[in-house]
Amino acid sequence: MKKSIIYLASLLLPVSIMAQKVTFEEYDLDNGLHVVLHQDNAAPVVTTSVMYHVGAKDENPERTGFAHFFEHLLFEGTENIGRGKWMGIVSSNGGKVNANTSDDRTYYYEVFPSNNLELGLWMESERMLHPVIEKIGVDTQNEVVKEEKRLRVDNSPYGSFQAEIKKLLFSKHPYRWTTIGSMDHLDAATLEEFQAFNKKFYVPNNAVLVVAGDLNINKTKKMVEKYFGSIPKGKPVPRVSVKENPILTEKKGKYNDPNIQIPAIITAYRTPSMKSRDAYILNMVSTVLSDGKSSRLYKKLVDEKKMALQVGAFGQNLEDYGMYMTFGMPLGDTKLEDLVKEIDEEIVKIQTELITDREFEKLQNKYENQFVNANSSIEGIAHSLATYYLLYGDINLINNEIDIYKSITKEEIRAIAKKYLNPNQRVQLEYLPKEETKK
Amino acid sequence: MKTKILSLLALVFMTITTLQAQVDRSIQPAPGPAPKINIGKPQSFILSNGLKVMVVENHKLPRVSLNLRLDNPPVVDGDKAGVSDLTGAMLGKGSKTITKDVFNEEVDYMGASINLGAGGGFATSLSKYFNRLVALMADTAINPNFTQEEFDKEKEKSLENIKSEEKNIKSVSRRVKNLLAYGKNHPYGEYVSKETITNVTLADVNKHYQNYFVPDNAYLVVIGDVKFDEVKEVITEHFSNWRKGLAPSISIPNAKNVQFTQVNFIDMPDAVQSEITVVNSVDFKMNDSDYHAALIANKILGGGSLESMLNQNLREAHGWTYGAGSSLRPNKDTQSLFTASTSVRNAVTDSAVVEILNEINHIRTKEISAEKLKDIKAQYLGSFVLAMEKPETISRYALNIELNKLPANYYETFLEKINAVTIADVKRVANKYFLSNNSRIIIAGKGSDVVENLEKIMYNGKKIPVKYFDKYGNPTTKPIFSKPLPKGITAQSVIDTYFKAIGGKNVVSKIKTLGFSGNMNIMGQSMGLSINKMNPNKRAMILTHPQAGVVMKQVFDGEAGYMMQGPNKRPMSAEDIAEAKNKNVMFEELSLDMSKVTLESMTSVKGEDAYKLKVTGSGEPEYRYYSAKSGYLVKTETTKEAQGQKMTISTEYGNYTPTSGIQFPFSMTTKQGPQTFGMIIKKATVNEGVTEADFK
Repeated sequence: MKKSIIYLASLLLPVSIMAQKVTFEEYDLDNGLHVVLHQDNAAPVVTTSVMYHVGAKDENPERTGFAHFFEHLLFEGTENIGRGKWMGIVSSNGGKVNANTSDDRTYYYEVFPSNNLELGLWMESERMLHPVIEKIGVDTQNEVVKEEKRLRVDNSPYGSFQAEIKKLLFSKHPYRWTTIGSMDHLDAATLEEFQAFNKKFYVPNNAVLVVAGDLNINKTKKMVEKYFGSIPKGKPVPRVSVKENPILTEKKGKYNDPNIQIPAIITAYRTPSMKSRDAYILNMVSTVLSDGKSSRLYKKLVDEKKMALQVGAFGQNLEDYGMYMTFGMPLGDTKLEDLVKEIDEEIVKIQTELITDREFEKLQNKYENQFVNANSSIEGIAHSLATYYLLYGDINLINNEIDIYKSITKEEIRAIAKKYLNPNQRVQLEYLPKEETKK
Repeated sequence: MKTKILSLLALVFMTITTLQAQVDRSIQPAPGPAPKINIGKPQSFILSNGLKVMVVENHKLPRVSLNLRLDNPPVVDGDKAGVSDLTGAMLGKGSKTITKDVFNEEVDYMGASINLGAGGGFATSLSKYFNRLVALMADTAINPNFTQEEFDKEKEKSLENIKSEEKNIKSVSRRVKNLLAYGKNHPYGEYVSKETITNVTLADVNKHYQNYFVPDNAYLVVIGDVKFDEVKEVITEHFSNWRKGLAPSISIPNAKNVQFTQVNFIDMPDAVQSEITVVNSVDFKMNDSDYHAALIANKILGGGSLESMLNQNLREAHGWTYGAGSSLRPNKDTQSLFTASTSVRNAVTDSAVVEILNEINHIRTKEISAEKLKDIKAQYLGSFVLAMEKPETISRYALNIELNKLPANYYETFLEKINAVTIADVKRVANKYFLSNNSRIIIAGKGSDVVENLEKIMYNGKKIPVKYFDKYGNPTTKPIFSKPLPKGITAQSVIDTYFKAIGGKNVVSKIKTLGFSGNMNIMGQSMGLSINKMNPNKRAMILTHPQAGVVMKQVFDGEAGYMMQGPNKRPMSAEDIAEAKNKNVMFEELSLDMSKVTLESMTSVKGEDAYKLKVTGSGEPEYRYYSAKSGYLVKTETTKEAQGQKMTISTEYGNYTPTSGIQFPFSMTTKQGPQTFGMIIKKATVNEGVTEADFK
């Protein structure tokens, strides 16, 4: 590792037009691990990350919560890293570490000063090759996960709406359960089941390693081979392929949350995979509806008619399907069904009238802004590279995604809204405060 | 599992093994040489109205950001608390020259954002829109248009927000903590409520804006893809006509700590977790000589990583929480709060409190290891280096130096000062800042689950006093806890279960006479007790002193009755006769008019769950408590007037013993005002030995 000398004054150098592009090298190891290297010597920082293609949707329906549980369990130690030592090794070497799980994947990463790149690689390779999965680790993390659920869901205002919406939108697909899963399932799981899950999913052919920041490409390649090359390849990992029947009649649900005083009404539509062009177009529909104070829903419901405390429309983009939701909290005496009526009116407008030229230009500017900001940190770039490779199947989207947005037409926006956002295709959730027990 | 510190030898070993494509994974890789750091300084200029501008050029991405910061000291708004936030909410809605809609539309069109608040504001856009961004931000900040319509809207939103936070356990906990730790007349101790927001008018907002939104103590930081000369020109053009003012200066009261550590409890009946915060106030500023040592001590105790003492104990060892931490942040205007806090499930609340205090005391009394100190210093080095990635870091450092009046080389010497902290320093500052003997332990949680154990916590050989507060920090009395009713329980089902438990309704309704003999304890004196009952409502109770004979007799023969105490005989009043006639003397439940009985709640009697029934009659209501587990009647309670005073009379029933297939409570303890009478039954007889003569 060479000495890195950083002068922040170096940021004064004029930048070339191509500087916005993220450059990288990628290749496969023999064991199937995909490796992506991105060099940026501006700051003495390097991120080492591994994304595994396993998430809540890969779980056994009787053992939900496994993928997220593993995110905790795989910090318990490896054959060469003692139990409870992981965090201390990272912090005593000046780094920070984190991990997160979603329906589709689990992501682990360390950010270090660049003189500790080799340490990061060693740690992630240890985690992949031989994590220690023992009863004591399982029992401890079981309690921690229960606390996380209490904190994030049970005791959290509006914390349960995701779980309720998923139950309504999905009846066959594993997206119907939540990432945090069921505490009962976790209690019932045996040590053998945990070990089998590790063997099945935590293999190099089911993962991508991304190293980004102040590195030297050739030296890094040698280190990658050193630590990851000898990890044995695993069996091919089956991918979930469950098809849902289209929603043809509106479904309604209700939920009482003891942590809130003000109710909310949520409508949700099941939309296609984030990889599809339709998903990009729906993102733009959502921007027109609710992004910014001049957006249609905000202007009408919060500003002019003063019917809503908060209102929004947003999509959750996932690998197999998407969820598109509108969310409204009433102001004062406004009824929930009146909010829905108003939101529906705006959706009908988008389905029947083309957006104006001005609105269209506004969209372009917004997405350009988003694109510029997306790649502003090494940590962010590493996560994007991993995601585009593993989940989208097209790593070049990190530079090209903006072109998809630039190519979408006003007509497409109208047509896609018409295709997916009809009342008979949706679910409605009344999210209500808990009723007081009668005295 | 081996983790070894590398030596030069091992480095060589690793190089060799790389060539052989065989790696010894048991050796943790050593770091390379540390990166060299050079901290740049922003360029700056000052406008004639006092606005100080700092510029950091960064041409990596074609974007720019503006950060406006008003350095006004905190103020007390008193019965208009919230005027500052409302003023902030009114800013950024266009100006006197651009309407709100046009303004919002233009900002959105550029894909930019402009947000203003009471303390300043933030704006970003692509660098190609820099001029327009500055123009719009300046216009809306300096030339706002405060309309009654917008004001009314924001006020209503504020009120809705307050309503929506009512059940939020974290926000209740935070509010009470600030109020108690700082005092309610302190800017950080006062809180915004429905009442104070309602008091605020549009005129108040105007006045607040005139007084406080001034350039005299303001800083504007510009970061991004722009050149200094251009920035100077554009900012001067648009911000120069911001009029100087002089924000009123008010003295801030001192926060005071409590004389002895105590629990301050707020009942939140729906909580599944308790929010625990141990807090004390201290003077703590960035230019204190102990600043760096205190940072290190706080990080070791509860600095956010899993390695902290609090997390190692509460999360890793015990699994009680998702995270526990401590915080000590400098404040240049007033005292800071040191806090150690966590959220834990109800059942372990008391244990968590004990362990938090243990860890604080540990760092106060025992020396940390040299290895731990070395680790923490390495963490500071690491964060310092990682922060260099962001151009905002330079501006943050420059702003801190200005605002806190720090020496110009503060950040150049930062790491050196961190490295100079010793083990003894850590112990010393822990005693200086973590005042575990003068702490408030603020707990917001479900009282019916946690209070009983909280009241038993021992600390330094004594129980920690528990004081009760409501959601607004007002002292209150200990709440009576009731639990949610399980499904399917009704007043009728409780009564049915009771009859089943004592032997069956059919059986008990056929009883003709009952006789009990035993003892009664009154003020330390044990008297002989005899109680006779005859269906439906005849009763007689006799108390016999071992030497003096009959000392009290109470009789009702179905039509009339009397009470005799010594030689004094007093007939029963008409009300008492009416009541006695209607009550079934054997088991009151046999004569209950169920239409006048309601199931109130599930509460606790002597540590066990019990259903509370309310019986409404002509006088005061009576409350009857039935054990959820056994079905037995365990307590009755009513209010009676005696000698011009209202008194609560309650009787607890226990020691149910069968006689002839029926369960009777063989112990009854009655509390009447300050007096307690205990009755112990030794023998019960059913349908024998009792005649009419007993009721004369």
